[in-house]
Amino acid sequence: MTVPAAEETKRLQAPVRVPGVASTAIYGAVSAAGTQATVLGTSGHAVWLLVEDKVIVVSTSDSTRLPNGVQLAAGSSSDLFRMVHHGATVEIGHGRIMLEGLAVTITRWWDPRPALAVISPAKLAEAVAGLPSAVPDIDAGSLRAALVAGSPGGILLSARSLLGKGPGLTPEGDDYLAGAFAATRLLAEALGRDRTTAMIAGVSVPLASLADARTTTFSASLIHSALRGQVAEPAGALLRAFTGRGDVALSHEALLRVGHTSGPALAAGMVMAAQSLIQSVSNGGTA
Amino acid sequence: MISRVEIHPGRYHDSVRLMQASKALQDVEGVSDALVAMATELNLGLLGDMGFDMNAAAGAGPNDLLLAVRAEDEEIIAAAHRALDDALTHKVAPSGGLDAPAPKTVGSAAKTNGANVALLSVPGEHAFVEAKEALDSGQHVMIFSDNVPVEQEIILKNYGVEKGLLVMGPDCGTAIINGLGLGFANAMQPGPVGMVGASGTGIQQMCCLLDDAGVGVRHALGTGSHDLSEEVGALSTLQALQALDDDPSTDLIVVISKPPAAPVAARVRAAAAACSKPVVITFMGENTLEEGAGEVLATMGMSEVTYASWPVDQQDHRPGFVRGLFAGGTLRSEARFVCMPLLGEIGTKEEDPGHTFIDYGDDEYTQGRAHPMIDQTVRIDRLAEAAADTSVGVILMDVVLGYGANADPATELVPEIEKAVSAGAAVVVSLCGTKGDPQNRDAQARALQQAGASVWLSNAAASLEAARLATSRTSA
Amino acid sequence: MSDLNQLLDNDPIVATAGTDMLADSIEQQGSTVSRADWRPPFAGTETALARLAADGRMPDANATAISRMLAVRPHFADVGVARDVFPEMTDRTFLHAGPPLEWERASGPMRGAIIGAMLYEGLATDPDDAAEKAARGEIELSPCHHHGAVGPMAGVTSPSMPVAIIKDGAGDGVSYSTLNEGLGKVLRYGAFAPEVIERLKWMDRVLGPVLGSALRSRGPVDLQSLIAQALQMGDDGHNRNRAVTSLFLREIGASLVDGADAPTAQRLEVFKFIDNNDHFMLNLVMAAGKLGSDAAAGVPASSLVTVMARNGTDFGIRLSGTGDEWFSAPAPPVEGLYLGAFTEEDASPDIGDSTITETVGLGGFAMAAAPAIVGFVGGTAAGAVRRTLAMYEISLTEHPAYQIPMLEFRGTPTGIDAARVVRTGVMPQINTGVAGKVPGTGMVGAGLVEAPMDCFVQGINALAATLG
Repeated sequence: MTVPAAEETKRLQAPVRVPGVASTAIYGAVSAAGTQATVLGTSGHAVWLLVEDKVIVVSTSDSTRLPNGVQLAAGSSSDLFRMVHHGATVEIGHGRIMLEGLAVTITRWWDPRPALAVISPAKLAEAVAGLPSAVPDIDAGSLRAALVAGSPGGILLSARSLLGKGPGLTPEGDDYLAGAFAATRLLAEALGRDRTTAMIAGVSVPLASLADARTTTFSASLIHSALRGQVAEPAGALLRAFTGRGDVALSHEALLRVGHTSGPALAAGMVMAAQSLIQSVSNGGTA
Repeated sequence: MISRVEIHPGRYHDSVRLMQASKALQDVEGVSDALVAMATELNLGLLGDMGFDMNAAAGAGPNDLLLAVRAEDEEIIAAAHRALDDALTHKVAPSGGLDAPAPKTVGSAAKTNGANVALLSVPGEHAFVEAKEALDSGQHVMIFSDNVPVEQEIILKNYGVEKGLLVMGPDCGTAIINGLGLGFANAMQPGPVGMVGASGTGIQQMCCLLDDAGVGVRHALGTGSHDLSEEVGALSTLQALQALDDDPSTDLIVVISKPPAAPVAARVRAAAAACSKPVVITFMGENTLEEGAGEVLATMGMSEVTYASWPVDQQDHRPGFVRGLFAGGTLRSEARFVCMPLLGEIGTKEEDPGHTFIDYGDDEYTQGRAHPMIDQTVRIDRLAEAAADTSVGVILMDVVLGYGANADPATELVPEIEKAVSAGAAVVVSLCGTKGDPQNRDAQARALQQAGASVWLSNAAASLEAARLATSRTSA
Repeated sequence: MSDLNQLLDNDPIVATAGTDMLADSIEQQGSTVSRADWRPPFAGTETALARLAADGRMPDANATAISRMLAVRPHFADVGVARDVFPEMTDRTFLHAGPPLEWERASGPMRGAIIGAMLYEGLATDPDDAAEKAARGEIELSPCHHHGAVGPMAGVTSPSMPVAIIKDGAGDGVSYSTLNEGLGKVLRYGAFAPEVIERLKWMDRVLGPVLGSALRSRGPVDLQSLIAQALQMGDDGHNRNRAVTSLFLREIGASLVDGADAPTAQRLEVFKFIDNNDHFMLNLVMAAGKLGSDAAAGVPASSLVTVMARNGTDFGIRLSGTGDEWFSAPAPPVEGLYLGAFTEEDASPDIGDSTITETVGLGGFAMAAAPAIVGFVGGTAAGAVRRTLAMYEISLTEHPAYQIPMLEFRGTPTGIDAARVVRTGVMPQINTGVAGKVPGTGMVGAGLVEAPMDCFVQGINALAATLG
């Protein structure tokens, strides 16, 4: 094997420059002065980065936009991530992510927290009617009861029984919880249920710590986002559709196609949370 | 039977891949049980339930990859490892192969990617047929092209209203939708402002001022320079206003236009008053874009800001007229509006006597060339002429950055600015750009400043400076 | 929900036509864009296109026309005799392919076929006699298309010839065609040697009656079903009909043996004749197309092409929205492969009604289905696929029944929109046979031809003029 000349080495190492669209939830981390991050994992579709204690995911155009993510215009077929290696140290900041041979420049932002229009419980009930609120391996009975009752203790207990349940980076139980928390947070606001909004805000800190302890750092990051009302793009579209902006059936189908178990679990969690909110309203609770 | 439990620390894989890997392992002849998952507490519990040795996984956490196999012998365990590596190694999907011919019309182009916006820059005489096709197939349309007959514009816009589709243009240079710039547009930070504008550079200037003040613009819907004419009657502006009022992610609406026909202005004001959200209206000739931006900030409860500037002391420039060399039509109009009270009459044609402010984006100067925001040749020529013309005391010009614009305008302008300054003329630049723009706004500003030009983000401020310089020397 | 809400709620997905700079800047921002390879419409159509766009009826009119075309169910029901099935036919009437034509302007193969048909009908003693009588106006020429009929190549149909009758299983329409004589020296290519006349006589004496009898005993044969299957077996419906002919023989086989009212020897002759002629079903596929295109005719403001046909002198088209009017231009030469020692020098310009197949999503439009004949398109299967893919640009829809395996069973591009032809400059691709230009020669080759642009320019202007 010959050693390439200095000139050639330089040319070989010139980074491939690609534009990316980032979530506003990581605006701070990406726009701030440069910092170092570690590559946790790579696949054809994504690179997961550990930035301090949070995970940021850089993904291709044919994967889902995540609330803690940057999406490139290139698809997985371009195989851009082949030049990124597990365990490598990379730089992030000044609107750029330098991934070894790949320089991602953030050109635009998208907001993972869908702005929802005001809606009545009756309209919401109509929107979610007929959608499944359960997935086979998740027993969410106690979570539903806790959400209807507005019981922080009950929510924590049921979350403990679901966090980390299932295979993959985002276990199914986590997706279900993320869907339920985000929907509760956002729909409570759209319904004007201030008490529920305060309750979910109050339980967010212990829930976030619980997630840190019991599931993957990546999945825990997504649960943190969900607690702030930030969700993957198709989940946001479904919530908007619940409030009359978009077709519920089409958005639901689109969300079901996400990941292997993620989409269906997220969707079911969101539907269950919507039903719980409607139930708690009809149980006589006022805002 | 052999049982093997392995932990691969910090190894991330998505769930689809892990499930495929589990499946691949189970399919290996001689493997009786297999589990591949992240080592969360619940998955470790599952490991125990399957009868594997829990001690082997001691210390594993949720970020570690857990592999457990039960098989007949070592050889099969090795085969399982190979199956796992195979399943977890990324492979490039083979590309499609059949090369379809490129689509020939915007309608067929839209079919290939499910587009919901058709962006047209075909010659104006052909834009109508393409735009009609786009509307027929359910796309919103942005018509960058100019010279589309007004009766065709009216047909398109009425049809758009009927179908709930927005027709931006003809002669629509700028739009931003969810942060994506179409045509000439600046890179915006995220934010709550929605804009409607019948003026491309007007939208750009307002975007740049707000971005500088820390306020992001989410949507800027261009409607084309004729939308607020009496014939068109603000069809698209009213539609866009309603859409932004209905958009839960928009908190405040800004409307921008060159001077509209009076009855049309009244209708736009009435529609704005009926909106549920605050609406700030800036009609050229009534106030400046900087004043409009100030009103936006005040509405948002923010205090006034000083917009970026990179000034140079040019007090001892040679006396003479102001020569305005503009690429942006609205920026030229605003400069006249600002300077006329101070300078008196300002000509708009090159042959006019005295002060002249010319729009080099006008058809007259763009025959066979790209827009001066892209191709600066004509303006650089005129800059050299103005430098050599001793009757000119002050040269005022705009430089527009952002997507679609020249990649490095300052580098092209610097040599001529240096010559003009050394010939004794003052040079004032109105620099329309944001920090996020691909040209690097601050570096552009510094380069122009080092060449001797005084640079202002606000076009109104640049215009005032030019007028101030001119009047200070003539009165001296 | 309004589309405007949809626009503001999501990232826009953009398609562009015009300068690449605008598309580049969208890609620079990390988004994707679909670019049209746009070019100005063909000169002389700008005003007409703008009028059609302003009028606004064209898209709906085209949707109506194409749905009528696709709604027909062509059934091969019976075989009759020309003088019986065509009410306007006299003993001196000769139908021919393409737009209207006079003897003076007729090409070699067309004259040859007329001479042959006159000899066959006993109206002339020898070829010279026939030519003199034809030149004196002793016969009447009329396009097949004016009679609900189509004929391949010269398409000459004379009163005694057997005629296939295609009925619409879903409506009242009827269409007709002659029966195919086979390849080589045959009347439709302009040959009139004694063996040609002999075969024609056998066809009216044996083939017509036996086949009709078999059909009547069996019941009608569903042609669309056969064509759909044949496309998945390598046919294009124009230049390759081996599969559809084989399928037809399976359909009719038992009835030929059992149901036809004829001596065994004749039934065997008919069976062998069909079996030996790979193009036997071409005429039936054409007539099936004619049934659909006639159903689509007469929709005001529709730019759907209902007819493309050539007579060896002119190439003519008709549009749904312009009624019976023909828009003609000189028939172009065919680029192709030649048989034996023949060269393009020996070729007559394009001829025949067989382009009806291209107007209904077959032939050149289904080339990707027929790798066996890719020799005509430069020899590669990929080239055939490209040709078919290019036709989607000018077609109104994808055929619900005719599918192409190589394109993941995508429907064939169907229903040519003349407005899209003049806008894009993409010309309908036609697979065709080539006739020798000297009367009496017969087939000299096969190949590809493009419809002339001028027909479409005239058609679009005439359509715009109908809007009022």
